[in-house]
Amino acid sequence: MEDLKEELKKQLIEQLNLEEISPADIDDDTLLFSDKGLGLDSIDALELIVLLEKYHGIQVTKPEEGKEVFRSINSMAEYICKRKS
Amino acid sequence: MKFITAYCHLRENICSVNGEIVSMRDNDSADSWFKQIYKEQEFAYPKFYKMDVLSQAGFLTSELIKRANPGLITDYNDDEVAMLFANRSSSAETDLKFIHSYQHNGAPSPSLFVYTLPNIVMGEIAILNKWYGENLFAVLPGFNPDFYMNHCSILLSADSEAVLCSWLEVTGYQIDAFTFLIEKKGEKSIEFTKDTLSELAELGGQQNKNYANY
Repeated sequence: MEDLKEELKKQLIEQLNLEEISPADIDDDTLLFSDKGLGLDSIDALELIVLLEKYHGIQVTKPEEGKEVFRSINSMAEYICKRKS
Repeated sequence: MKFITAYCHLRENICSVNGEIVSMRDNDSADSWFKQIYKEQEFAYPKFYKMDVLSQAGFLTSELIKRANPGLITDYNDDEVAMLFANRSSSAETDLKFIHSYQHNGAPSPSLFVYTLPNIVMGEIAILNKWYGENLFAVLPGFNPDFYMNHCSILLSADSEAVLCSWLEVTGYQIDAFTFLIEKKGEKSIEFTKDTLSELAELGGQQNKNYANY
């Protein structure tokens, strides 16, 4: 699980071109879409959907899940584990 | 009478403001040319990194114009600054990258898709400055002073008090960006005529050539 979280942080930085941020700057529970966190926007949300499919082979088929799944690195890792189990 | 109160050239090797070179490309740098300028000029707008090259060019030149003429921000209401942009290749550079993203990377990139229209650059600048004025992006065969003369005349005779104009051509390794500010006031500035605009437009190419020969 810890390896997956570190992997996700690197993938997120690459996919979203967050050039001023390093994996160490992102805590596992940092809010991805809050201004107090990474401050991502709606286009970034689409990129995260692409990220899950591209790197983890997971399609987000229920849009209502998105809000909770993309809350933080923790929630994304949990979702990936759940979908793969 | 109208005036060109600030202007900025961004070419393959140089970036200049009001004729003075402010950045020169470092070919040994690991950063892209636009990123070199962003860092060198100490801009702080992380969204820059997510923009396509057309928007990055528009961002850099408009921010440098603002530095050269802070009155652009302080002297006008948010709906009094218009934008008048043009280029020859529309958003072709990003269109090709978007095609590549779904043909070779497995999935289309949403962040590239949003830049597959040339006028997005004006949206970026408007959002950053909270401008609500008129805006127009034209795709033309080449830089045409008459286009800017005619449209500025219309805009400034209506509700606009200033017009941020730009010729913004970025394709592959070719960069030809010329951004200039037209205002009704500007006593010590250059009068806005077809001849003065043509002369200034050529300056960027000359500076770029001088750098290449240096």
